[in-house]
Amino acid sequence: MSGAGFLVDLHRCVGCGSCVLACRIENGRADDQSWRRVLPINLRRHPGGPTYFLSVACHHCDEPACLRGCPSRAYEKRSDGVVIHRDERCLGCRYCEMTCPFGTPKYDAARGVVSKCHLCAHRLDQGLAPACVAACPTEALRYVAPDAAPATDARAEVPGFVDPAGCRPNLRFAVPKGARRVELFATLEQAVKR
Amino acid sequence: MAATRTIRTVCPRNCYCTCGMLVTLDERGQIVQIEGDPANTATGGHVCLKGLSYARRVGYRDRLLTPLRRRKGGAEFDPIGWDEALSEITDGLTRIRAANGPSSVLYYEGSGSHGALGGLSMAFWRQFGGCTTTYGDLCWPAGLEATRLTYGANLHNHPRLTRDSRFILIWGHNPAETNVHQWRLILDAQERGATVAVIDPRSTDTTDAADLHLQPRPGTDAALAMGIARIIVDAGLHDTAFLESHAAGFETYRARLADYPIERVAEITGLDAAAIRDLALAYAKTHPALLIAGFGLQRHHRAGQTMRAVALLPAVTGNVGIAGGGWQYANLASHCLRELPLPPEPATMRSIPVSQVARHLETLADPPVRAAWIERGNPGSQNPAAPRLRAALASLDLVVVVDQFMTPTASCADIVLPAKTLFEEEDLVTAYWHPYVQWRAKVLDPPGDVKPETEIWRLLCERFGYDTTWFPADRRAYLRRLLPPGHESALEGLMDAPLDLSGNGDVAFADRRFPTPSGRVQFASDEAVSLWKVGPVPDYAPLEEGHGSALATRLPLQLLSCKTRDRIHSQFGNLDWVREVERPHVLDVHPADASARGITDGARVAVWNDRGRIELVARVTPGIRPGVVHVIEGWCHGGDPDVNALTGEGITDINHGATFYECLVEVERL
Repeated sequence: MSGAGFLVDLHRCVGCGSCVLACRIENGRADDQSWRRVLPINLRRHPGGPTYFLSVACHHCDEPACLRGCPSRAYEKRSDGVVIHRDERCLGCRYCEMTCPFGTPKYDAARGVVSKCHLCAHRLDQGLAPACVAACPTEALRYVAPDAAPATDARAEVPGFVDPAGCRPNLRFAVPKGARRVELFATLEQAVKR
Repeated sequence: MAATRTIRTVCPRNCYCTCGMLVTLDERGQIVQIEGDPANTATGGHVCLKGLSYARRVGYRDRLLTPLRRRKGGAEFDPIGWDEALSEITDGLTRIRAANGPSSVLYYEGSGSHGALGGLSMAFWRQFGGCTTTYGDLCWPAGLEATRLTYGANLHNHPRLTRDSRFILIWGHNPAETNVHQWRLILDAQERGATVAVIDPRSTDTTDAADLHLQPRPGTDAALAMGIARIIVDAGLHDTAFLESHAAGFETYRARLADYPIERVAEITGLDAAAIRDLALAYAKTHPALLIAGFGLQRHHRAGQTMRAVALLPAVTGNVGIAGGGWQYANLASHCLRELPLPPEPATMRSIPVSQVARHLETLADPPVRAAWIERGNPGSQNPAAPRLRAALASLDLVVVVDQFMTPTASCADIVLPAKTLFEEEDLVTAYWHPYVQWRAKVLDPPGDVKPETEIWRLLCERFGYDTTWFPADRRAYLRRLLPPGHESALEGLMDAPLDLSGNGDVAFADRRFPTPSGRVQFASDEAVSLWKVGPVPDYAPLEEGHGSALATRLPLQLLSCKTRDRIHSQFGNLDWVREVERPHVLDVHPADASARGITDGARVAVWNDRGRIELVARVTPGIRPGVVHVIEGWCHGGDPDVNALTGEGITDINHGATFYECLVEVERL
């Protein structure tokens, strides 16, 4: 059993940030931090590994640390696995900023509450893909429905992304392709395992 | 979300993609959604971060909303009304024309916003008695003319046929950053088993994903292309059937290939001979093979001969006129609109090369330039010798700049007029990658005191007492008359979907008929000789300002100033949303070049040559070829490097292009 989440294709993602902007527009975050970020890996192109990008928002974990640590029960996990934050119940204590190992919840000082990606649940409920997924020009970012089998080559961990707190994040990766990148990626994975 | 409405329009930037867009407004007229138009099958229902950023840009805090006038002797501007602005412009232009004639006024328009109505500026200038304009183009003309000389027309396959390729050779191009929708199609082909090979002195997001990457010395691509052809022909892998029926001058060309043995080509390009051979054989043996050339390999003096050499490879291998194959440089299939009706051109028109605006502002006589009008462009940042160009503008008697933001060029103006955005006037937009003509709808009313340029020109004509009937009274009727013969009824159709009005079909040259003098692919071209005074067949010659030149003993590094995904030249990078996701403006330098100069990663460095000097932060990266340094061009906001302080005002061998990448520099640690 796994819940709804995202899949990032590390070969197709060019780190452009369209997903970051689409999130801003869809979720009314013109002047606040976007709920999505793009983390570049190895922009210097160190020969020890490939260059790629992690586009990340909330991973809608099976065991969400934000939810466990929230004293006001502002977090809910829907039956489809989407982790929702309820502004109206939020005390603004910011504990979830500390408990989430992925740095997902964002504190909005002006409103005194935390907020985060809700997987565009309002769009999912209408049968639409999350805004970031719909906007991705290379179709690198994909939505994975609950219990759907992810792409065959998808995996849960790649260098640069680990699950340090046993949250079981619902983020999957399709690993790089292309002769050079495959070779560099394998080198990097070996290095990380050592 | 009650009472929202969605409007189909198009992004008019100087970009391959020219995306169809769907813009959704709420009941208050605020943009709540921007999406790609799935009816544009090239862009596949996507836009990019720049398209999405219009939601921020149209109402951005820095947007100019009123005319501005420079305070006497100062750097500050004060808002003024249109009446006052137009009076001041009318008085100034009248005075200067009386003293020095109409061609003492420079009219400069850039490529910042595409639309058929842009040409209406000439309804004013022709009635004014003429002016000085620019000819040539900063970007792509050598490659365009090389393609025309070779194939007769700038056409290529519909982008979606990229998916049918088995081998994709990307040359001097970085679609993962500058044509992201083509990149989607290339990745699709690669996932279906196609091999992707890239020729680029830099490592980019494109080369990272490739199966093969060759990093030649900048400016040696002609030798590489001739060397690849020699390997193919020596191996008997050229398409003799195609060449017998469809080539002109192949034997002359073949004789020239004798000058390009692989050892010599390896020496010139700085590449490994075996790597060249592997690439050549793989390209020739895999069908269909697509060759996609960018603009990067034609930004130097030898641009035309280089592009002719590269453009011939698809013909050598018989990859012309087939799905999944071809030569992809620019597709002008959509450039089929009729000319605007305009007053007759006066004899007093004068024209200067666009890559030498600074030099001509400084030196033109009979008459000197005393005033300038600049719109849809930012030459004070984007043209060669930009600091000199800005200084020359500042010394003129009257400078008018029309823009949405206070650019480095606008900062030199006496009067700044606020420009519309793409959402604020109806127009027709053509493309240069896909074949579609698209309808640019009016989505919003211009904010504040903003007026579209067409209205500015009409008002100015009124001031001067000129005929204003050249301007559209009924805009849609006017635009309908611009549609190509037989397609006048397509206007309403364009509001529903992008349309290919060319009648060419999806596969370019499918009938193997080439509109060249011989009706065949011109391996040798008399036109090249008569029009441009270059050799009849393509050839390599070293750059005067390149590796191994006399200047290189003193200035040993070749500077490339390339484009990236988050800006179109100097557009977009001023927005906070874009700055959040943009790439850093650093100097990429190879570890060998860095250590020879004591430069460490993150160190502040000066880059200089005899033309100028800039300072920025170094990024030491093994991804770039030794001897080459790189910085992203486009001065969008304070702190961006003024890279065109370093570039020269050269002109390409063919068709009046600029030579931005023929630029030797030295770098030192600060």
